[in-house]
Amino acid sequence: MHELSIVEALIEQVQREVQRCGRAPTEGGHRPKVGPGRIRRLDLAVGRLSGVSCDSLRFAFELLSRDTLVAAAELHITEPKATCRCQACRACSEVDEITVRCPACGSLQVTVEGGRELLLQSIEIEE
Amino acid sequence: MKIVAAAKILKANDQLAAETRAKLDAVGVFGVNLVGSPGAGKTTLLEALLAHWKGERWHAHACRGHATSMAPPRPAVIEGDIAGSIDAERIEKHGVPVVQINTQGACHLDASMVAAALADLDLGACDLLFIENVGNLVCTAGFDLGERLRILVLSTSEGDDKAAKYPAIFQSSQALFVTKTDLLPQTNFDLQRITADFRRLVPQGAIFPMAAIRGEGIPAAANWLAEKCRR
Repeated sequence: MHELSIVEALIEQVQREVQRCGRAPTEGGHRPKVGPGRIRRLDLAVGRLSGVSCDSLRFAFELLSRDTLVAAAELHITEPKATCRCQACRACSEVDEITVRCPACGSLQVTVEGGRELLLQSIEIEE
Repeated sequence: MKIVAAAKILKANDQLAAETRAKLDAVGVFGVNLVGSPGAGKTTLLEALLAHWKGERWHAHACRGHATSMAPPRPAVIEGDIAGSIDAERIEKHGVPVVQINTQGACHLDASMVAAALADLDLGACDLLFIENVGNLVCTAGFDLGERLRILVLSTSEGDDKAAKYPAIFQSSQALFVTKTDLLPQTNFDLQRITADFRRLVPQGAIFPMAAIRGEGIPAAANWLAEKCRR
């Protein structure tokens, strides 16, 4: 998909969150790569139906994080699944892709919930 | 220290898009995001619609103009392309305000590009704003531009399996314009299949088949759009 723009947006989002909490980056927008103040970990949720490839996201993060406040951060990604509820057979199945068919009975009367999130869940800073 | 953010990564884009939507609503402009593959016929569709509303001659066909007694919409266009201004030049020939955005390689428009382009348009002079996105069936699905309506343009030569293969963009659109129906005899495109697939993803979705280059199907789509825009 557009993982480069998503990582750009992610870095801006981290910047805003860190500033909001009064942990603004030091002079020049950089944070130390080691020791206190270092952003050590980012937790993301990338739903399976979000259309975003986690491998591409990691690769884009490697490229774009250099010389930014998240340069030393580890990226932790969870991939929430989606649920397909069937009105015909009442089955509740986990699905990995946008589907229009119940995996259990093949009925087209389904609703798919969840799996679309693209979230920055938390930021961990070394004390 | 852990900062719990629980924020959408595209929050900045979504917020800006919401601002654009509010700004357009406030001045009575209906925003339409036109998405589809490169070569699906997005610009030709726009040209045919503009010619229809202006009562211009369009290819071999003289347009009869707006069919109802109500005044046709006053359109404006934002053209999104990776490079060049070919599309904007085509639109300009119809005497419609147009702004070209060059994304310099980016595969989709985002809300900030559209917000910036709005500054170059006189919003008081239009009530229907078409935003022609970069040709792409993947990335354009994830970026709200601040539109009220997303139309997916799919040409018959692309195949009738596209809703099954690119469900995200179909699911995020409220209307499907199937273009190049004049090529149907040369293809194995099944209009019923794409209709069924689209309806499964978007039960209330509108579908308009057309051969824009001949003006076929354009009056129905134009009237539907004019009606949407008036509401």
